[in-house]
Amino acid sequence: MTAPSLEDFLLLSVDLTAFEETDLLGTGMAEGYLEKVRAACGDGIVAALLDAHRAARADAAAENGNQTRTPLEGEAFDRALRHRVFSDDRLGPVARNIIKLWYAGMWYALPPEWIDRYGAHAAVGTSTVTAASYQEGLLWRAIGANPPGAKAPGYGSWARPPRIADRYLKGARR
Amino acid sequence: MTVSTIENRDDLIRYLEAALALEHATLPPYLTAYYSIRSTTNSDAAHIIRVAAVEEMLHLTLVANVLNAVGGRPDLTRPGFVPSYPAYLPDGEDDFTVDLRPFSPEAVETFCKIERPGKAPSADERLLSAPADRAPLLVSSPTAEGMRFYSIGEFYEEITEGLEKVAADDPALFRGDPARQVGPEYFYSGGGTMIVVTDLDSARRALQFIAAQGEGLDSGIYDAEGELAHYYRFRQLQLGRYYQEGDEPGTPTGPPLSISWDDVHNVKVSAKLADYPPGSELARVAREFNADYGALLALLTQAFDGRPALLQDAVCDMFRLRDGFNRLICNPLPGHDGLHAAPTFEIEPAAGSDQPAARDAGEPTRAVTP
Repeated sequence: MTAPSLEDFLLLSVDLTAFEETDLLGTGMAEGYLEKVRAACGDGIVAALLDAHRAARADAAAENGNQTRTPLEGEAFDRALRHRVFSDDRLGPVARNIIKLWYAGMWYALPPEWIDRYGAHAAVGTSTVTAASYQEGLLWRAIGANPPGAKAPGYGSWARPPRIADRYLKGARR
Repeated sequence: MTVSTIENRDDLIRYLEAALALEHATLPPYLTAYYSIRSTTNSDAAHIIRVAAVEEMLHLTLVANVLNAVGGRPDLTRPGFVPSYPAYLPDGEDDFTVDLRPFSPEAVETFCKIERPGKAPSADERLLSAPADRAPLLVSSPTAEGMRFYSIGEFYEEITEGLEKVAADDPALFRGDPARQVGPEYFYSGGGTMIVVTDLDSARRALQFIAAQGEGLDSGIYDAEGELAHYYRFRQLQLGRYYQEGDEPGTPTGPPLSISWDDVHNVKVSAKLADYPPGSELARVAREFNADYGALLALLTQAFDGRPALLQDAVCDMFRLRDGFNRLICNPLPGHDGLHAAPTFEIEPAAGSDQPAARDAGEPTRAVTP
């Protein structure tokens, strides 16, 4: 079996997190996160997850007519992703964990029933990835704040409202 | 003694405007090397470069204070204010280019050349004729065409002498509104005390402080405050050892420095937007960085043009730029054999210096009303 590629992992991660590839690479954590997922779940499950993601994109593309944009938006892709990935007993918990990994910089232990069924790997428990992963968590950018204790934002900046990119507001009231 | 190239207030203002551009021009090279260092590695080197960069920001502000004191108007948005890298600086022997490089022996070599103590053998040799094919020179004379300076220290020496001469001829030289001065209340953690400039004495102190902190002109490896000049700070990276009091310039005897040249994102040297894949997400992010940087220069211009309190906002923008700088540098540049991306500092000229670029020229971000 060929090792899961970083490119495929990034493509999956863009759809799971709604952050762009440059943002994900910009954390400097992408390789480390892929290693973490492989160590926790094994290459077989990672490869199956990437296959399911590819299939979900193909389903949505067929339904929408050759839509290749990333992240794929719209109902068809949402449905395909839920069908192929999130509702799958084996792949769903892993995909949800990858979202948490990017947002919190932390690998959370998979549910005990998942481990009983699909096998325990050495790195399966809750752990941080590196000292940098906390401050690189996407959640801080998603809420327009700095990680407490890191990436100092400048004196007095806390008196101002958070700055959030338009694309994440989706028309919400400002 | 050569004829002074500063005859009047207009000449002086042109020199100070050149000094403003010169101080800024050192920042992109220092910042590129600094942010290329992988996080949590090379703390000795990162600290040395960071201190130098922060002090250049202090120098920039001090020059703005002197310029404002004599009735000038600092403008960081004028076309050409940010040089196109690689840019030339004179060092008195051979010309060399200043590139935007990752942290590397080559980068440190350039930093040493920028900050080299350059006392011309005699005042007659302070100004040299600039080779016709070498442009643009950062430390060239703004009033004597085709002439460049032996060193940055000599450039400031010329300004100080010119300042004294013009002040003697013009009792009203220091006519600037004191409210335009950036005082210590607007400037924090910035590598030294801000000097408010209102007269010849304070102007002289500001200029001498800049020259001493950069190159140790006339003041040895430590300045009067016991602070190591930039040149010797960078020499520590070449010699692998810290200086301590009493050391000779060539032989630091302090503790060894730990440097790991490999713990660096190997960014493309002096990358240009043209190196980015056209239409790519990465190219857009690089353009957005430049736009944000241009907006920062516009905001600094407002701060230096009568609204010093805006400096606090500008500092917050600098921290955001830091995060954008880091994100860009973590991205590989497609088609460049594993070299990484880095800001290109190709700044679009603002619509007009009185119409600073919009604050959020890059990706639209909105403040969320609480």
